[in-house]
Amino acid sequence: MASKRLFDRIDSIQLRGVTKKYDDRFAINDVSIDIEGGELVIFIGPSGSGKTTTLRMINRLIEPDSGTILINDQNIMELEPVALRRNIGYVIQSIGLFPHMTIAENIGLVAKLEGWNEKKIKDRVEYLLDFVSLPSDMFMDRYPHQLSGGQQQRVGLARALVMDPPLLLMDEPFGALDPILRKQLQEEFYQIREKLGKTIIFVTHDIEEAFKLGDRIAIMDDAKLVQIGTAEELIFHPANEMVASIVDTSKKFKHLDTLKIKDLISPLECMYVHDGSLDIESAISSMIGKNIEIAVVSNGSFPLGIVKLIDLLRMDDKESKIIDHVVKIPSFSRNKLLSSSLKIMQKDGHSMAFVMTDGKLSGFLFPNDAFSQVIG
Amino acid sequence: MDKEHKGVDSLLLSDLVEVWETNSLTLRTIEHLTMFSIAIVLASIIGIFLGLFLYSRPKIAHPTLNLLNLVETIPDIPLLVLLLPIFGLGSGPTIVASVLYSLLPITRNTYTGLKEVDLKYVDIARAMGLSEKDILFKVRIPLSLPMIVGGLRIALVFTMGVVTLGGLIAAGGLGAALIAGIQLYKINTILVAGLWTGLLAVIFDGLAGIVEKRLQRRYGIW
Repeated sequence: MASKRLFDRIDSIQLRGVTKKYDDRFAINDVSIDIEGGELVIFIGPSGSGKTTTLRMINRLIEPDSGTILINDQNIMELEPVALRRNIGYVIQSIGLFPHMTIAENIGLVAKLEGWNEKKIKDRVEYLLDFVSLPSDMFMDRYPHQLSGGQQQRVGLARALVMDPPLLLMDEPFGALDPILRKQLQEEFYQIREKLGKTIIFVTHDIEEAFKLGDRIAIMDDAKLVQIGTAEELIFHPANEMVASIVDTSKKFKHLDTLKIKDLISPLECMYVHDGSLDIESAISSMIGKNIEIAVVSNGSFPLGIVKLIDLLRMDDKESKIIDHVVKIPSFSRNKLLSSSLKIMQKDGHSMAFVMTDGKLSGFLFPNDAFSQVIG
Repeated sequence: MDKEHKGVDSLLLSDLVEVWETNSLTLRTIEHLTMFSIAIVLASIIGIFLGLFLYSRPKIAHPTLNLLNLVETIPDIPLLVLLLPIFGLGSGPTIVASVLYSLLPITRNTYTGLKEVDLKYVDIARAMGLSEKDILFKVRIPLSLPMIVGGLRIALVFTMGVVTLGGLIAAGGLGAALIAGIQLYKINTILVAGLWTGLLAVIFDGLAGIVEKRLQRRYGIW
């Protein structure tokens, strides 16, 4: 049964004095907020602060005790919940791909319920898989358990986009991924966000992620909205101590000059290392098996560079050796100063580097990760 | 037949053929499997619908399952005897008794399977805009299939046993051959009919086990 297209674009989302109580405890206490169309607003705060509850009210998974929520000046309580939700994409940390459906069935489920024909669904699924950088002929007929965590999260995003909703709700979408993968997906998400042109409401507990992705950041604490503003506004004019402590980087940044790479190293696990003589086909299956998206290509014991799973999947010649597709990245000794290494990386636009100990690879340096450790 | 010139193998084989033919075991097997199939199909239909019904009426779920549990505790021969005044002799009471025994595992597993589907799937389904009906048919039922088949597997074993006992109340089937063997004290008949019944039970259980494993691998927990 086809449901009505409720809105083609979002002009505004308004929460007016929204309150929700469970027994005597406030989940949300008198929250008012204005979100403009096309904005990416990030909700951040300690667990139990009400950020997820706020998100889940916008598609009526939770209904307020009092207050109103308006989308394009329409009160959402007057809209049919099923129709409303089909106009809003939803992505969560646990992804929740249905294990009994193939990737194509997962993505196309709502389209099928909407009565689209097979051809139209297939075209849409192929387009979306391509959009999230998964070759469709390779992934359509697989089951979720055959995919790595990062691949599943991409499918989760594709599934949320199937009805081309003008609004996306994302609840810690990268929260369950390992740090390396998280950085990469954040990077990609940042790039595709432009193409998406959607209004996005995003929940996280990672301030670095908030600074990186958000147009505005809403800080919640104890069921209340404490402050909303751009990163600069929050850093320079924090509303209270709590906001200052979340965003305040000044105290810790002072120590940056003295930090060495070894203080911020992400240790190497041997599963990342692949020999350069490996062909692409076997490298892909090894990486999918190990659930990793980046592999270190080594020549015996010496690291030559990295290859990304996404790039390998796109190669036509699956017989060729991975050594021919290595991307070189800088390598630093673990005793080198962090600040100078970061400068070098920034100059050449590298997002990661090798860390060497006694001439051997011992870990990675991720500038973004380093910053979040410094300020976290 | 000149048995002295034959080896042990052909002796056993010829005995087997003789027992099989004098007791018309082909016919008995057909009777047996007919009762068995009718009972299983009926129990599955009633059990799965009852499970679905209880899922939609959680308040009566526990009393109903307790009642089925009570039925389960009645030993099989007394149950058959209790059913005689209502259904008479033969395959009627045998099928009814099989269904009564099979209801508990099928109903309970259907109900539990639907109820205990991982809530994260239900939550995301709701958030995607599936109606409660869609959630039931597209998510809850498929994800509880391994559990439902598990219940069916228990029912298969129960039913095989009860249908065999039906021989006592003129229901025919392999039980009839077995009882004839016991009454006439023909060891060969008892052995052949007994082993054959056992083998059938093992085969059906094995087949159901394969289906269950497949479903678990495809639908269940990875």
